[in-house]
Amino acid sequence: MNISLGFSENKDHIQATNEAVGQAIIGLGKTRGDLAIIFTTIEFAHPLVLRIANNLLGGIPILGCSSLGIITNRGIFKHGFAIMLISLNPQIFLNLALVKDVNKKTPIAAGRELGEKLLYGCKDVRRILSLIFSDGLISDGTDLINGLQENLGRSFPLIGASASDNSAYVKTFQYFNKEVLTDSCCGMLFGGKINFGFGIKHGWKALGKIRYVTKSEGNIIKEINNQPAVKLYEDYFAKDALELAKELRRISIFYPIGIYLPGEKEYLLRNIISIKDDGSIVTQGDTPQDSPIRLMIGTKDSCLAAAVTSCEEAKRNLGAQKIKLVMVFDSASRFTLLGRHCSKELEVIKAVFGENIPIIGIYTYGEQAPLKSINYLGRAYFHNQSINVLAIGGQ
Amino acid sequence: MPNLIFISFYIIIAALGVFLIAKVQKLKEKEKQIAALKSSLEEMDEQAKLIMRTDMELNKTQEELDKKISGLDILQKLSRDISTTLEEKQIFKKISSEYLEELGFEKSLAFLWNELKREFHPCLNLGYDDTEYEKIKTSVNNDKDYYLDLIQSGKTASSVFTPNDFLTKDRIYQLYQVRSFIICPILAQEGDQGFIFVGTQNIETCITEGEQELITILANQIGQTLDNARLFEKTWRSQQELEIKVEERTRQLTQALEEVGKISKRKSDFISSVSHELRTPLTSIKGYAAILLAGKLGAVPDEIKNRLEKINRHSDELVHMVNDLLDISRIESGKVNMNLEKLELNYIADKVADLLSEQLKTKNITFSSNIPDDCRNIMADRSQIERVFINLVGNALKFTPENGKISIGAHRSGRAIQIDVTDNGFGIPEDAQGKLFEEFFRVENAINQEVKGTGLGLALVKHIIEAHQGRIWVKSKLSEGSTFSFTLNAA
Repeated sequence: MNISLGFSENKDHIQATNEAVGQAIIGLGKTRGDLAIIFTTIEFAHPLVLRIANNLLGGIPILGCSSLGIITNRGIFKHGFAIMLISLNPQIFLNLALVKDVNKKTPIAAGRELGEKLLYGCKDVRRILSLIFSDGLISDGTDLINGLQENLGRSFPLIGASASDNSAYVKTFQYFNKEVLTDSCCGMLFGGKINFGFGIKHGWKALGKIRYVTKSEGNIIKEINNQPAVKLYEDYFAKDALELAKELRRISIFYPIGIYLPGEKEYLLRNIISIKDDGSIVTQGDTPQDSPIRLMIGTKDSCLAAAVTSCEEAKRNLGAQKIKLVMVFDSASRFTLLGRHCSKELEVIKAVFGENIPIIGIYTYGEQAPLKSINYLGRAYFHNQSINVLAIGGQ
Repeated sequence: MPNLIFISFYIIIAALGVFLIAKVQKLKEKEKQIAALKSSLEEMDEQAKLIMRTDMELNKTQEELDKKISGLDILQKLSRDISTTLEEKQIFKKISSEYLEELGFEKSLAFLWNELKREFHPCLNLGYDDTEYEKIKTSVNNDKDYYLDLIQSGKTASSVFTPNDFLTKDRIYQLYQVRSFIICPILAQEGDQGFIFVGTQNIETCITEGEQELITILANQIGQTLDNARLFEKTWRSQQELEIKVEERTRQLTQALEEVGKISKRKSDFISSVSHELRTPLTSIKGYAAILLAGKLGAVPDEIKNRLEKINRHSDELVHMVNDLLDISRIESGKVNMNLEKLELNYIADKVADLLSEQLKTKNITFSSNIPDDCRNIMADRSQIERVFINLVGNALKFTPENGKISIGAHRSGRAIQIDVTDNGFGIPEDAQGKLFEEFFRVENAINQEVKGTGLGLALVKHIIEAHQGRIWVKSKLSEGSTFSFTLNAA
């Protein structure tokens, strides 16, 4: 498998596309690309951009999504067009699929549909990895994964990113061949021989006593310890629901809810999207009823330490394999929390993998991955505030 | 045996009782421990709340501080860029999307009020496409009174605070398509004023007082730079107008000078030709008078002789005058070549004193010359420079009363030697000093009425000195005397 990267921050969309795609094609040399993954900031989310890329790439499959920033070896860019061009070995099987109208169909039904499509023609092949890019604003990211897992299997490495916009939380974009879509999820299923390692961590620490979700429905926590869910935050921050609503984004980023998972060191984090009039809180992923939960606290240092752990885990899982590329799906919340120190996260990634390893990544409104990467077993979850590192290796 | 069984039973019961009592005791202790643990847990939870609240405040402060630091840094760069701009149109071009993003915004607009057209005209657009831009422009002009009031009040409106008489926050959010905004008046002292808008769609942005201050500083900086640019424009225009006027005046003066030159040449040509025409008959008159006086044509009666002598004397004066006029004319037209040679100033001064010794003696005038060693040698045309000395000393002699003093002095200034001919005569009125070197000008005084003169002497002197690349001037005070100074090049 050969991989090459291209990136441009040219403000002219057409020129940027030409530059980045040109770099990637040149990077592959005489080898022809089989698959292109495109990440852009939202101003590049235009059908014309995709059409140009498609023409330049000779019609090969394209997948990708929008983001509030692009992570590359050269730095973190608030504007730009990035492309990863992959040339696959004949032993690698690849299938791509798209599901539209996720919210309309319900995320779980959309997940099932995508799973079915991905499996099509793949029955005799050993499935290795699935990579998905979904709309970051779909109502319940967990349901989408649940639907997918119904067809792909629960103990199967599913890694993904929920697209982001410019922190406006208005519209995110997904790319599938020539199409620029919203409210959709596109994905690919790799079969055959592909080497990869991944790690996912967040670095937030639990604080205060354990409480229990006594009433919940999907991604709505109605009651905690038999009291309206918002009471937890009202108690902790000595503010009423109205005041909390004003600072919801900050509170959600710095102090999310952590779901305790037996046997796991890290809690599964849940961002708060909104507070309902009845005191329920809406989270970005679901929180099952009876889950033990705690309030979490994050710092810049713990965030960076988690990035190191995540990278080390991904590297360790690849063993002696030579790392060809590192993909990073980094939570938009971490970008906000780290603020002007966000480049430090890139520094620690480089410190683990080496200065010259090609890196491509985006900031996301949700990350999908199993909690444990050992043997790639374990159920994939919908994460918040996490850094999801996928290292792809080769001979 | 039954007793033994009975005793054993009692012992077991007693042991069980003791065990139960111990167990109950232990349970009570455990309960106490659990209660203590619960209490500790509650306390820890309370502490956790405290930590959370403190952490949030710290995060807020840190965030505010970070914003201020980066904001000030950007503001400093932006201010430096803006303040070096002296063109009004260029000022807003300096505000780039990169700077704006560093300040935490991705959309910005600026409008200036045009008093003549009674409308706001846009000067900056970052982050809006043409359709959005046009829509906002129209809306701003529809709501112009609100914006004008805001400018008038000098207040800043933002998503944190908007003045009561301004547009509602929701209207601004809707129009500008942002989640947070700051609108700040641009208060220029001269010319059109306006306002700058910055905004962001970022849901995480929370406008702080610090950010409002930063944008206010930026707006003030823009206002000041607009003032500077307008002042510069005004000054530049005045200078341009002045330059045009100077050019025009210079052209007029050049034309006038050329005209004067032509007139002067015509005058010189006229004097030259008239002088030549006069010299021939004068020579004849003088010749015939001399023949008659010599009695070559017979004895001449005394009365006729007397008249003939007058003719002869007047003819001499006329010849002298004609010669002077011819000399001036020649020097002016450059026909006279100055044969410069190294001359000794002492020698010339002595020679002049010698020539005029009789007159000096008659009026008992003391003549002195003081030529320092470094002024001895000059480069000049001998005959011409002698005429200068004779003229100046002659004049001094003429206007110095009996027992007066005349002196020749000199001093060196670089390559030039300044020579001063000083007398303690009657002096020259101030208003006459400027015209003294003009042709045919004579100071109106009693002496000039008695002593005849052509009014050409000093004019000739001036031409000779200027032909030597020197200059001549006079300083004089009535009843105290005069000093005629001129410069010549040192040898």
